[in-house]
Amino acid sequence: MPQATDSRSNQMMLGPDKKLGLIRDTSIQPFAPKEETMEIPLPPGVTKAVIEVRLTYQPRPGNIYPIHKVVRNVSLEETR
Amino acid sequence: MGDIAMMLLRPWNLALKWAVMFSIIFFLFFDGVTARCDSTEQVSTLNELIALFDSSSCKECHEKIYEQWEKSHHARPLMGLDDEIFMTKYLKNGVLAVKPGEKGTKRNFPCFKCHLPQFKYATDKVAAEIADAILRNDKASVRQLTISCLVCHNEKAVVHGCPEKNVIYGNRDLPEDTGHLVKKSPLMKNSLMCGQCHGLGPNLEFETPVQCATLYGSYLHAYIPSGGTQTCQDCHMKDGNHYMPPNFNNREEFSERLKQSLPMEVQTLSYTFEPKEGDSRPMVVLKTKITSKAGHRIPDG
Repeated sequence: MPQATDSRSNQMMLGPDKKLGLIRDTSIQPFAPKEETMEIPLPPGVTKAVIEVRLTYQPRPGNIYPIHKVVRNVSLEETR
Repeated sequence: MGDIAMMLLRPWNLALKWAVMFSIIFFLFFDGVTARCDSTEQVSTLNELIALFDSSSCKECHEKIYEQWEKSHHARPLMGLDDEIFMTKYLKNGVLAVKPGEKGTKRNFPCFKCHLPQFKYATDKVAAEIADAILRNDKASVRQLTISCLVCHNEKAVVHGCPEKNVIYGNRDLPEDTGHLVKKSPLMKNSLMCGQCHGLGPNLEFETPVQCATLYGSYLHAYIPSGGTQTCQDCHMKDGNHYMPPNFNNREEFSERLKQSLPMEVQTLSYTFEPKEGDSRPMVVLKTKITSKAGHRIPDG
């Protein structure tokens, strides 16, 4: 999300009556795909796992708009 | 001799020319400023302000468009998520707070630059009435303050000069026999039309500067330089639809819109990682890629 201070300190501010100037922007930009790689170590002996990926939008904490939910069943059974 | 005199006079001619040109430019600029309609007409009651931009008669001939608009956020610009008056918290606490509402002035409402553009025609008495209505949670009154048809089709339809009174601006000129004078505004299909309110960043002209939407800035400085070719209207007013999504109150529809705008790819790799002989670790590598089809950053407003 675009993050702003009030331009009087380096404290991030919330609310249009306080924000004044962006200092960091982690939002999704046009023509700029966001790629992430996550390495998930599994406990020893585990051969199956269900990976659930959710993308949501939360304009306020707790106010959740679901966007994507992708489920992948992965198996390590072929490992020697 | 005549030629010599002319040569001597030439610099003065040049200076004179520049002076005249400067005067014309200054006059045009100055005249432009005074002609920006900002504003000689003032209303001193809330009801007068509502009446000044009342667009209910538009429904008689443009029923479908009016119904689309009624469902849009433009029809409830002071109502936030879940039908709450968004200004309440700002008038109760913080730099814009006022108590009691009757003491409210136009200084309490920098948000109205965009949330209620016609507010510029109001006096402090109207500001006090609105502040009072908001603090009393008088939704019935507050709901009457809208980004009505006349806001976009008159007030905001002209930026090169001044919108004319009693003229409706649209995509083309129409003869007067339609009931009202319709003039073409080149802005109607231009992103600048929306950009007037949907945000360049900090609004520094107020005693209390505010920063709300920065969306048009993102369109100008991220989308366009990356080769984007669509206008705001292409995506948010398809086929002239005045519903103008997104609609944050229609949760399912908004989620679906985000889903379409932000496709996500997911890839997994499961394997046994062996950093050294005999040290086996089951591992999943998850890769995600979110692409944006939007013409601006997400989220923004």
